[in-house]
Amino acid sequence: MLMLMSLPFLAWVILFKYVPLWGWTIAFQKFKPAKGIFDQKWVGLDNFTFLFKEEAFYLVLRNTIVMSSINLVLGFLTAIVLALLLNELRSVYFKRTVQTISYLPHFISWVVAANIVQTALSPEGIVNILLLKLQLIDQPILWLGKGEYFWGILGVSEIWKNVGWNTIIYLAAILTIDPAQYEAAEMDGASRFQRIWHITLPGMRPVIVILLIMNLGFILESGFEPQYLLGNSMNVDYSENLDIFVLKYGMQMNNYGLATAAGMFKTVVSFIFLIAANHIAKRLGQSRLY
Amino acid sequence: MTNKKWLKTSMAIIMASAMLIAGCSNGGEKNAGNKEGGKTEGSEVSTEPVTFTYFGFGSNKDVLASDTTIGKVLQQQTGVDWKMEFVVGDASTKSGVMIAGGEYPDVISPVAELEKLIDAGALIPLNDLIEEHAPNIKRVYGDYMDKIKSEDGNIYILPYTANVNGYLTEPDVGQGAFWIQRRVLKEFGYPEVKTLDQYFELIEKYQAKYPAMDGKNTIGFITSAGVSGDFYSITNVPMHLAGYPNDGNVMVDMNTHEAKVYAASDYEKKWLTALNDINSKGLLDPETFTANKDQYLAKLTSGRVLGYFNYGWQTGDATNNLKAAGNDDLRYVGLPIVFDESIKDAYIDPPAFVNNRGIGISVSAKDPVRIIKYWDNLLTEENQKLVQWGQEGETYSKNEEGRFVMDKQQLANRNDNEFKRSYGWAYFDYEWPRYGSNSILEDGNSYSVGNQPEVAAANYTEGDLKLLEAYNVETFSKMFAQPVERPWYPAWSILKEQGSPEQIFNQKSEDLQKKYYPKLVFASKSAYESIWNEYVKEFGKLDVAGFEAFITNKVKERVAGNW
Repeated sequence: MLMLMSLPFLAWVILFKYVPLWGWTIAFQKFKPAKGIFDQKWVGLDNFTFLFKEEAFYLVLRNTIVMSSINLVLGFLTAIVLALLLNELRSVYFKRTVQTISYLPHFISWVVAANIVQTALSPEGIVNILLLKLQLIDQPILWLGKGEYFWGILGVSEIWKNVGWNTIIYLAAILTIDPAQYEAAEMDGASRFQRIWHITLPGMRPVIVILLIMNLGFILESGFEPQYLLGNSMNVDYSENLDIFVLKYGMQMNNYGLATAAGMFKTVVSFIFLIAANHIAKRLGQSRLY
Repeated sequence: MTNKKWLKTSMAIIMASAMLIAGCSNGGEKNAGNKEGGKTEGSEVSTEPVTFTYFGFGSNKDVLASDTTIGKVLQQQTGVDWKMEFVVGDASTKSGVMIAGGEYPDVISPVAELEKLIDAGALIPLNDLIEEHAPNIKRVYGDYMDKIKSEDGNIYILPYTANVNGYLTEPDVGQGAFWIQRRVLKEFGYPEVKTLDQYFELIEKYQAKYPAMDGKNTIGFITSAGVSGDFYSITNVPMHLAGYPNDGNVMVDMNTHEAKVYAASDYEKKWLTALNDINSKGLLDPETFTANKDQYLAKLTSGRVLGYFNYGWQTGDATNNLKAAGNDDLRYVGLPIVFDESIKDAYIDPPAFVNNRGIGISVSAKDPVRIIKYWDNLLTEENQKLVQWGQEGETYSKNEEGRFVMDKQQLANRNDNEFKRSYGWAYFDYEWPRYGSNSILEDGNSYSVGNQPEVAAANYTEGDLKLLEAYNVETFSKMFAQPVERPWYPAWSILKEQGSPEQIFNQKSEDLQKKYYPKLVFASKSAYESIWNEYVKEFGKLDVAGFEAFITNKVKERVAGNW
């Protein structure tokens, strides 16, 4: 009976997760959207050769990995810290307010968010005015015009936008911790910091590890919109990532074969990262994905 | 039981109406008289209310056509209404999604996405539809038939630039120009400004005298190179300075018809050196490559900018707002700036036919015949007047000589973005099958409002008149050289196959320019040469010769009459 009940789900997985893999054949074709899959022209590994021969490809690969690492590390740290801090708040009202304010930016689209960032960072924007007033700089800085600053700007923008949202899952994890443990610790004279360190953090650990493993699977997904919207000709060497490259040379030229080839490459790399992370977690005796 | 009955009834209705429509289109002539409502000629097709979908890759606000005055009138004539949607965000992503999904709106105005959509087989050939149902389309596009047919002999789109009854030049400058703030010219007694050096010199002199405005520094010069997708506003300039019209990324020789890429050429170097110079003098806006569209237009409307290069239509919103604000000194005037005095400028487009901007019917369209009839009806002289001038007595008047004129209020309405939306001009006066903007109506009036000399004259403010008088011209476009016929023009509309070496060349050269322009413009004097050499070397790696050969070949074909 149980077997029977799982059948629809098995069908769902096959239909929506494995059948689309057939589409990977596009990577070996000069794909024309209107034609059927058997009427396509096969080009062998041409799309991959174009990709790996292209100098720009390695640059965008570097940018992608750096930016997604920044997002990963910063995203984790800030979200965990914020969750811990929120958890320690006594006033429910204040806690709610902070939480709401911190996750509101998550709901604005990147188009609007990028505009806010651009305006704030322009030579006459609030950031420069503030720094000038504090006499930390004597000339307005063209923040988005210096490539070296781009990764930092992106990291901060991502945190501003998503930290509140990322916190939610950790707050949920904290709620599952048995209050008796806190009571016991308090009886034994544990300080507030000790309670965080010895009870809350270990209690969150399974969630942290699982999320880390899963996110490592997205190491080549550094996002698309912020880079596309904040990028310009002066920071292009740092802002252009794999997705933008694929958009330019794949989608915009109707070269779906190339886009698929890049997608395949991403999947393979992600897969390797995922398995490696899971393996390490297993070795360390931590909770893991499988 | 009741269900079945309902089903039967509706089936019967559908059958009946299907037969009616079929009957009408077969024996059209005979039945036409019996139909009610269809007053326009050749309306043997049903006028039952129907709503089609329209998707535009230009920018606009979504609307239901019948919510606008013009849309309502057209609906009364044809029974057809339109749900009009426009692209939000990145156009090529949107078209990619459309193609991937295989589902399209009934009609599409693809703008720059045309190649992609044709490649994907998204548009249906219109040849037979036009032949059978559309006398007006034949009238308007008849002379252009060879130019609107694509290589496979099919017509996929109806372009917006088919001029009818002659060619009327524009009184105002809508194309590229070096714009300068009028107070600068006024300050120095309206001097002749011809060359790039003179232009920047004048700005420098003015800024030295008046460094600030309302407590903020004035900005000497700017282009919209920071706006994503507008990078050509800075890369196209050397072509214009050298005395060529906008052929895209090539300059085409008038005599030999050879196309030459001017990126990494001496022309480009001269332009970039000039920018580097004015940057070192503090005249160039530091945000030239980073300001987005909003920031850019805000600068222009603030009146702090002394000079800029743009195509007139890129900054329409800003210039309209400036005009509405009423301070003539803060408005701009376009100048035909060239490298040196011996060069004759070519800023004003020669009579041209752009065949890759137009509107087409998609393969998902439920009733192409109905749509082609709607278009045909739209192209009657009467309706073409409507979409440009509106209704007589309301949005324009006729004087004793039968010339169309507008009073102050009418003119203000014609230029007001809000009114244009509610009246429907914002939707119907451009991205639909239409006469070209330089057309002349049968009664001798100008097709487009802005080209009517009486309107242009009435449109001039005191400041305009003073300026025109100072330079001894009647209209602003008279400050520019008269265009010379170029039978291939414009070369940028030459169709390049998707994913072809030509397209990849375009993309790669643009990538290189994007990377090196800011480096060169902001470079120190000592580093400039070495960065330039690096750029030229990188550019040399691209297949420039192959691209030039491709364009030259197409230009020659066009000259020979094969579009």
